[in-house]
Amino acid sequence: MTEKSSIRKLIGSVTGGGLKENLQVRLSVPPQQVQEGSFIVIDSQEWFFYGIATDLQLQAVDPRYALEPSRQRLPENLAGLLDQQTLYTNLVVLPALMLEQEPADPEAQMAWHKAIEAGDKEKPNPLPVKSIPVHHADAFLASAGDVAEIFGKPEEEGNFVIGFTREQDHPVCVNLDKLIQRSSGIFGATGSGKSFLTRMLLAGLIDRNRASVLVYDMHNEYGLDDTASDTGQNVRGLRSGFGAARVQVVGVGAGAAIRGSVPDFNLVLGYRDLLPEDIELLTLELNLKETTPTVLDALKQSFGSDHWFKAFKEMRRGAVIENEDGKKVPAPDSVAYWANQCGVNQMAAEGLHDKLRRLFNRPYILENPPADSIQAVMDALKKGKHIVLSFGDFESDLDYLLISNLLTRRIREEWEKITNEFRSGKGQEPRPLVIVVEEAHKLLNRDMASQTTFSTIAREMRKYYVTLLVIDQRPSQIYDEVMSQLGTRVCGWLGDEDDIHAALSGLAGRDALRGMLSRLQPKEEVLLLGWGVPMPILVRSRRYDEQFWKDVKSNRKVGLDQEQVIKKLYPD
Amino acid sequence: MEKIIVGRLLRSNTRACVVGCPPAQQFPAFGSLVSIPLSETEVVYGLIGDIHIDDDGLVRQLATAPSVDEAVIQDNRLNRNVPVEMTVLFVGSKTENRISHLLPARPPLSLDCMYLCSTQELCEFTAGSRFGYLRHILDAQDVPAADLLAAHLAQAGAAQRAQGNSAWFGQAAARIITQLRDDYPRLMPILETLADVENA
Repeated sequence: MTEKSSIRKLIGSVTGGGLKENLQVRLSVPPQQVQEGSFIVIDSQEWFFYGIATDLQLQAVDPRYALEPSRQRLPENLAGLLDQQTLYTNLVVLPALMLEQEPADPEAQMAWHKAIEAGDKEKPNPLPVKSIPVHHADAFLASAGDVAEIFGKPEEEGNFVIGFTREQDHPVCVNLDKLIQRSSGIFGATGSGKSFLTRMLLAGLIDRNRASVLVYDMHNEYGLDDTASDTGQNVRGLRSGFGAARVQVVGVGAGAAIRGSVPDFNLVLGYRDLLPEDIELLTLELNLKETTPTVLDALKQSFGSDHWFKAFKEMRRGAVIENEDGKKVPAPDSVAYWANQCGVNQMAAEGLHDKLRRLFNRPYILENPPADSIQAVMDALKKGKHIVLSFGDFESDLDYLLISNLLTRRIREEWEKITNEFRSGKGQEPRPLVIVVEEAHKLLNRDMASQTTFSTIAREMRKYYVTLLVIDQRPSQIYDEVMSQLGTRVCGWLGDEDDIHAALSGLAGRDALRGMLSRLQPKEEVLLLGWGVPMPILVRSRRYDEQFWKDVKSNRKVGLDQEQVIKKLYPD
Repeated sequence: MEKIIVGRLLRSNTRACVVGCPPAQQFPAFGSLVSIPLSETEVVYGLIGDIHIDDDGLVRQLATAPSVDEAVIQDNRLNRNVPVEMTVLFVGSKTENRISHLLPARPPLSLDCMYLCSTQELCEFTAGSRFGYLRHILDAQDVPAADLLAAHLAQAGAAQRAQGNSAWFGQAAARIITQLRDDYPRLMPILETLADVENA
C-alpha cells in the first residue's frame, strides 16, 4: 500500500469484473458505509484506478447461508463469525480513469521525479481507463486529495466548487474554462433544484469572469432577488449579488417592471428587426400552415426585409370596396388585394395575417423604438457585462420563442462577423459568450431544432466563441443531435425513463448510471457527466444561500485579463 | 514433574495410531491432546479420537450370568488381559522445540509410550493464530469429527482462557468456518456441535 493509500478509507478488494461489465469489489465494511455514486480509488501495483460505485449487491458464499438467519440456529457469537465469512456485499464499480503512481521505493521515486523534471518522462495525467486492476487490489473511498487530483483543486484559477462528495464531503470542482468550451446542460425534474444550481454556476462564471453570460430568464428568477417557493426564504439574484456594474437586468417592453423593480434598460423590438425567418420559427406556436414560407417570401419580395412587417400589419383583412360595376372587390389596402397582385393564394395570406395578429399586438414591438436595444445588449456582452433578460409579464411561449430566437440570431451574426474579422487580422478577439436557455425543449425539440439558431450554436458556434447552457426538465424532448453536442451535463433527479435515457445519451457506462439518476435525492444531489468532467461523479450540491455569497466574495480572485482567458480557452 | 505413561502403542500409520491402556488406569478423555516421543528431540502429537473396550470370553460368559458379584466385576475390570484401546489422530509434531502442524515424518513404533499432555503443552501446541492442525480433524474419516472438534475446542479453549486468551475459541471457530464455508451441509452440524460447547 502506498503512502497516499494510507490516508484513504479501505473498503474492500477487487474480486472480478472487467472493462465491459465493470469491476466487482468485495466490501470489507458494512454496505451502509458506501453508497451508490461514491468515488472509488483502486490501488493496483503501479496504477491508481478511479471509478464510481454504481451498484451494491448482497451475496453469499452459498445461497443457503442467506436464506435462513444463522442466529436462529447458532449462538450470537458463532452466528456473527459465520455471517462475517459467508455473507458479504459486492460493490460494482464503473472504472473511468487510471493514473500512473509514483514508485514506492525512495530511490526509484527520486529517479522518477528527476526524469519528469528533465522532460524525459511525461508527468502522469489521468487517462481514460484502458486496463483493469489486478485481483485483490485494495479499494478505497476517495480522499480529498484524490478528488482534487481528478477534479482539480478548489483554489486553482478556473475551478469552481459545485458540490461535495456524498460520504466524506470532499469538494468537487468543475472547470469553468472547460464548461464553456462546449455547450452544456442542466437537467432535472421540476423541484429538483435546477434553478438554484443554475444560479450557482452562473455566479461562478460571472465571479471568475470566464465569459459573458446572457440569460433568457423566462420566469424572472435569476436577475433580482426571489423568494424560494419551498422555504419562503429570500434568494439572492445575480444582479443583487454582483451589482449593476457587472450584471444588468433587461426587461422586455418599454416601461417593463420586474417584480416591481425597474430594469437597467428595456428591450424593445423594431418592426425592421423582425425577419420572415423569425416568423417561420414560430410555426408550431402560431400553428402556421405549410404555405407560410411562400407568403412570407412574397412579402419580403414586395416590401423588403425592413418593411414587410409594417406593411403586412397595416393591411386590412377582408376590406372591400365597390368597383365601377358595383361589385365588391378587395380594397387596395387589404390583404386580399396584395395577395392577388403578387400571385399569392389569398386565403393563405389572410390566414397568415390572422395568425400574426398575435404578434402585431405585442406591446414590445414598435415601429420606431427609441434605441436599438438589441445592439445595446450585444455591446454590453462584448464589453464583458452579463445580461439577464427578464421577460416580466411576457411569459408566454410566443414571447419567449420570438425574442430569444431573434436576439440569438442577431448575436450569432454579430459574433460570426467579429470572429471572422479577428481571424483575418482586422479586429480584436471576441469575448466568449454563454447563452442560458430555459425550457430548452421549446426551442430545441425535434421539429424546431433544425430551424432555430440555437441548434446551430450547439453544433458549431463553439468556433465562434458562443456556447449554450440549456436548462430543461424534459431532456427527452430535446433533439438528439443537440443533446449529443452537450459537453457537460449536470443532472438532478429525473423520474422518466426517456428523460434519463436522453440525459445519458452518448456517454460510456450509461446503463450503470441510469439507476443512479432515478435515485438522486431531489434538491440535494446531482450527477456530473460528460466531456467537461474527467469522469461521472455524484455530488451533494452546494447550497445557494447567503453563505455561498459570502464564500464567493471572500474567495474572489483577481480574474485573468480577457486575453489570457481567451488564450487559455482557445489555444488554436 | 515426571510424566505418567498413559499407554503403549499397538499399531500405527502416518495418520493415526492405536494405543493400548491398562483398564485399571484412568485413561484420558475423548479429545485430549497426547504425545508420543519418537526420540529425545522429536515428539508426535495426537488427539484421542476414539476409545473402545473390547470384550473377551470371560466377559461374554459373565454377561449372560443371572447375577454377577461386585468383586467379580471389579476383578474383571482391573485384571483383564485385553487393554482399553484408544485411537489417536496425529495432529502435529515437535522437533527440537519447534512445533509443526504437519503430519509426523514417520509414525511411532509399537510399544512406544504415550503421555497425556499438560495444560501448558496444550496451550503451547494450540497457541498463535495458526490452526493448521484442525484440518487433520476435519479430514478424518473414521472418527466423529464434529464431536472430536467440540471436545478438543472445549478443553483447549478452557486452557487458553485460563492463560488469559479468551479470544482463542472464537479464532478457532472462525478458522473452521473458513475451511468449511464452501460445504454448507458439513459446516452447519459442526457449528451446532460447537454451540453446545459454548452453551455448556
